[in-house]
Amino acid sequence: MAQSTADSTAGPAKRAPAGALKRRRLLTAWLFMIPLLAINVLVILGPSVATIYYSFTDWSGIGPAEFVGLENYRELLADGDFWIAMWHNVIWTLLFLTVPIAMGLLGAFLLSQIQRFQIFFRIAYFIPYVVASVVNAALWQNLLDPDRGIGSALASIGIPFLDGVSFFGSERLALPSVAFVNIWAWWGFIVLLFLTALQSVDHELYEAARMDGAGRWQQFVNVTLPGIRPTFVFVVLLTIINSLLVFDYVYIITRGGPAGASEVVGTLMWKQAFERFEAGYAAAMGLGLSFVSGVIVLIFVFLRRRGWEV
Amino acid sequence: MHAEISRRQFLATGGRVALGVGLAGSVLAGCGGEGGSGQITYWSNLEGSGPQDYFKKNIEKPFEKANKGTDLKVTFQPPDEMDRLVRTALQGSEGPDIIMTPGPAYAQEYIDANLFAELDEYSNEYKWEDKLLGWALDLGRYEDKLYAIPYQLQTMLLYYNKTLFEDKGMLPPKDRDELESMAEELQGQGITPFAAGIGDDPAAIEWFPTVFWNHYSGPDALYQALTGEIPFSDPIFVDAIELFHNYVQKGWFGGSQERFFSNGFDALHADLGDGKAGTNIEGSWFLATIEDFFTDSGDAWDWAPLPPLRSGVPAELYELGIGSTLSLNARAGDAEGAASFIDYLVADKKRAAEWMAAVPSAFNAPLPFTESDFPASMDERVARQLAALSQATNKGNFGYTAWTFWPSKSDVYIQEEMQKVLTGDITANEFCKGLDEQFTEDRKEGAVPKIIKPGSA
Repeated sequence: MAQSTADSTAGPAKRAPAGALKRRRLLTAWLFMIPLLAINVLVILGPSVATIYYSFTDWSGIGPAEFVGLENYRELLADGDFWIAMWHNVIWTLLFLTVPIAMGLLGAFLLSQIQRFQIFFRIAYFIPYVVASVVNAALWQNLLDPDRGIGSALASIGIPFLDGVSFFGSERLALPSVAFVNIWAWWGFIVLLFLTALQSVDHELYEAARMDGAGRWQQFVNVTLPGIRPTFVFVVLLTIINSLLVFDYVYIITRGGPAGASEVVGTLMWKQAFERFEAGYAAAMGLGLSFVSGVIVLIFVFLRRRGWEV
Repeated sequence: MHAEISRRQFLATGGRVALGVGLAGSVLAGCGGEGGSGQITYWSNLEGSGPQDYFKKNIEKPFEKANKGTDLKVTFQPPDEMDRLVRTALQGSEGPDIIMTPGPAYAQEYIDANLFAELDEYSNEYKWEDKLLGWALDLGRYEDKLYAIPYQLQTMLLYYNKTLFEDKGMLPPKDRDELESMAEELQGQGITPFAAGIGDDPAAIEWFPTVFWNHYSGPDALYQALTGEIPFSDPIFVDAIELFHNYVQKGWFGGSQERFFSNGFDALHADLGDGKAGTNIEGSWFLATIEDFFTDSGDAWDWAPLPPLRSGVPAELYELGIGSTLSLNARAGDAEGAASFIDYLVADKKRAAEWMAAVPSAFNAPLPFTESDFPASMDERVARQLAALSQATNKGNFGYTAWTFWPSKSDVYIQEEMQKVLTGDITANEFCKGLDEQFTEDRKEGAVPKIIKPGSA
């Protein structure tokens, strides 16, 4: 407003040329952007470039780094531990693409059907998501303890099938057990996302479907799912990326054990950098993971450009 | 309400702010980096209010009082995080003046990166050769120059529930036969022979290859392997690993193989205190907290040296461990002051003994103690252990712990691959062969710390 008033009183003779005005506005905009850009350069771009550089070196984490070309990447491709960890990430992703999303959809659908106590359930489902992962992990470590947990409590009342089961000590059970703990913390967030999306679906569509004789399942498939598709796709994308980057619950509960049975790329990368002191190799591993995430995001972008409503 | 500013004012103000931030940063950086200021920075790994309060009252304040004008800045860091924090700080050309590492093998990496200052001048000045145990000083030497002072001596011990043993008429085992009889008898009575588990810290699995190699293979064989005379794939090391694997398969350690992987320290220590487990093989650091786990049951505890598991292996053998070392940051502002603090901290026998009595196992000085050196207030079992370790090692009756004498990559190999032996993913033979390959590579890179010769070798 101040600008237009000044212009109207100054008259056309004093008006700055359009190009100069545009440049000035652009400069002002960039000046306001500078703090944010500086922070991004400092904490994102700088470390990213450094990571790319170190991935071509034998850097131990301290001291000088010697350039080794593509050696780290060659080693990575032949590293059995890396591919096993990557496979565990794939299993983790599949678990998270099915169990919490199905539970989230069901929870959100059921919550959308009730008015009383809805807030209570929303809060109850969401609490594990905001509790620190260390606390959630400690809670479930105690609950699933073979001697002091649920298994032994059930056994004491005559239900022995879980008695003595070492969920986190068994090679077969460790990965799904850690995933279960993480799912418990995660699914409440999915419920809220789906619930918000469900509430935006036009109720008249349900009425029309009912009038056409559609049952609950048909309403869900033909009205609800198309109505929440953008949220659904967003949750799928979020789940895939989060599953590739998973670290905290695995690190806290099993540290990738026993014998690598729950190792994921995140924990393996941490071990390379901070236990084996092969920071250059860990950087290559991190970039490998980023590459996979990037490909997935690109697929989504490609599908969107092809006209998919994602 | 807001005031409009012109572009010129905006640019000028922005410039002044940027300049101010830059200058402030430069000034602060200058304050931190250069010195001779009389300020010494030290990161301690002490945990808990008791040990930290003791340190502040009995070490920090008296040192400042004895050295007028010196400001000792102590920061307590979580022990598990210490090395990572130190590495991060040193990468940024920062870090404390006195640097703590998890052991000689780790210190060597910093020395290779020229981050530590030589200590020979200070060793002469403070006569550390006369005060400290000779082998301990040797461990801190690299290419005949002193860079690190061992700070926390450790060894592996057999802890046992004394009340339980007395009730059952048992004594701590003196050889392999007695150990196996004890384990069978306890297991037969529904008691776990060895409270054990790595649920809280999978790296702790290295305790067991350490114990079995020392007490089965023996210190002479280990000395030969660590100096490259024989390979780690030698049957004498493979058999030791197979013996441990066999014991785990029998459920002697932690109750079962799966429980061994998931048992946490608190739970297994509680089992020892409650008499649900008879013994526990753990480092001397457990002396600091063992009493807490016997309070509820009222049972008594004691420790015994780990027995030889093969004839020809010394009976009273203590594998040496260095929990941490102290070095001087090459960028220390007040190097002289920092060296005097290392001397104050480590080399005074009376002060060290008092500290070791007040806070058991938080700090074990590498000094030639006898039981009479410790104050009467010290727990007799702790005093006995410290004196036994000091005297036995001074006679050369010692072995080697993985976290002290193996290069860090070989050590990590042991921590990770040993788990695979227990799960059956690899054999003991494959494990030892892989270790030998890693160790050979480490040797070529000069990463093996100085290996001190045992008296029997």
